[in-house]
Amino acid sequence: MDDAKLVLLLFSLIVVMFGFIALPSLGKGLLYDIGLLILLLTAVFILAMNWVDAKLFSTITSIFGITFQPAKDYKINKQQNAVIKEVNGIFYTTGFITANLFSYTFKEEAAPEDDEDKMINAPETWERMVMNINFPFKFHVLASGLDVQNIRDELEGKRSYQEFQLSRAMQNNSSETAITDIRRKMSTIQAKIDRISAGEKPIATLMYIETTAIGVSEKASIDALEGQINQLRLSFSSLDVETTRVIGRELYSLFNFNFSIPTDFKQLANMFDQQS
Amino acid sequence: MANYVGMFLGLILASVILIGIVMFVPSLLLPTYIKIIIFIVAMVLDAMAFSSRYYSYLLSPMLKQHKKHLVLSNENPYWVAQSGDTILRKSGEDFIATVYISIPVYRSATEMEEEDKLDFAQQISRLVGLSKDPTRYTTELYVMNKDSYIQQLRETITMTENEEAQLQSNDAPKNELDRVRGKLAMWRNMLDSISKGYSFELSSYITVSATGTKEYEASSLAQQKARELMSGVGSLFGVPPSIITGNDLLRFVEPEYLIPISTVTEQISKNIQEQVI
Repeated sequence: MDDAKLVLLLFSLIVVMFGFIALPSLGKGLLYDIGLLILLLTAVFILAMNWVDAKLFSTITSIFGITFQPAKDYKINKQQNAVIKEVNGIFYTTGFITANLFSYTFKEEAAPEDDEDKMINAPETWERMVMNINFPFKFHVLASGLDVQNIRDELEGKRSYQEFQLSRAMQNNSSETAITDIRRKMSTIQAKIDRISAGEKPIATLMYIETTAIGVSEKASIDALEGQINQLRLSFSSLDVETTRVIGRELYSLFNFNFSIPTDFKQLANMFDQQS
Repeated sequence: MANYVGMFLGLILASVILIGIVMFVPSLLLPTYIKIIIFIVAMVLDAMAFSSRYYSYLLSPMLKQHKKHLVLSNENPYWVAQSGDTILRKSGEDFIATVYISIPVYRSATEMEEEDKLDFAQQISRLVGLSKDPTRYTTELYVMNKDSYIQQLRETITMTENEEAQLQSNDAPKNELDRVRGKLAMWRNMLDSISKGYSFELSSYITVSATGTKEYEASSLAQQKARELMSGVGSLFGVPPSIITGNDLLRFVEPEYLIPISTVTEQISKNIQEQVI
């Protein structure tokens, strides 16, 4: 949770507390009970919004049947999981799934054997997968360089923590496996620090897949999109990828990425914090 | 200051004022059934205030429009710059220019040795780390545009049908009629096989954006970023990347360019025919 969100959460919950203080002004009996119920619902809603805002908000829009027009000729459906465009009576519906293919790894780290095998097999697996897909899709990797000093500080913090863990494990006569595990983590962190010291740029990545389905009606195109998304999820499972359907505000952000991408990392990080 | 801060402060303030009214206005002046309504409104505003962190773009139209279909924007999401190589859009007072760079890499894993495959995977890793600024790398599978060919075939079929009708009305000799009918069958078979399935193309490209207070400022910054990336891609893969221009740009932006319209209609009518049969 970022600082801004924490401040907002705090202020919103303080207002709920004010509400508790104001409750006696509603008198005793039914009105008091209604007030108490409203307060509890508000508190639960705020806390739920903090963790599952996309699901909660899309449920609200689904219940009330609210749709959006993010730009001329485009529409976001009430479930907030698809962007629809009608051209000459044909409906083009686009959906997104996040698919984090790999976390950026530093090449000097001693990569386990199976990781190297994965790297060798990746081009062929990718080609086989693409050949089996018979509908349009886009695989996007959005990458941004990170602040070297911040990452270095963070890594040094992690290394200090591991050093502390190691000294504690040695004092407590922990098992050899536990000590080796801590040492392995330390050497991985050290390799990253060395790599940054050698001038390598640390980067953050966001990967997502976009697919478009067609239909003669809105419903037909949405149904076709569901089929395509299921097939993509199945196909990408061969690449050992975790996929998540994008809904809500992140769908709106990804729709906008088709026309422009964020120009700094802070902007990008604020947009995606949960589904990706 | 972020967009949502003003909305958050406004909603929180309104919520606190309403709670203050509930607390401090005596029941003689304000009956309790009105107080509970004010109390509910205060809590709804509080919940909306917290939601504004991510949903300020929706809350404002929700409050103003009171409709089930909310219009967030009625304008085109972008326009193509006069130079035809940049997509522009407005964001507040600024302009955002976006440039698309094509990466012409035509290598297949089937013709690679184990070592080449590892090298290629590492080249992709290095490609992703080329720029410090946010940059998007995309591989796109799209339906080949056979629109003009399909259109040409349809026109030829219509012309041949007219020729057949003319021959019939003029009581033309049977061999002449058979020749035209054979030609018609040939073109129909051709259209049938062309529209039987989609043909796909795979493209890789990079997207980079830049902000400026003027259109030309944003465009030139984006072009500069693009040139830096192009030199990196060129040295990494040994291929000449190029900035995508004109109609080709739309293939990466508009959904209807992913699946061209004639190809689609032909496919849909084919599916319907098959379902009917």
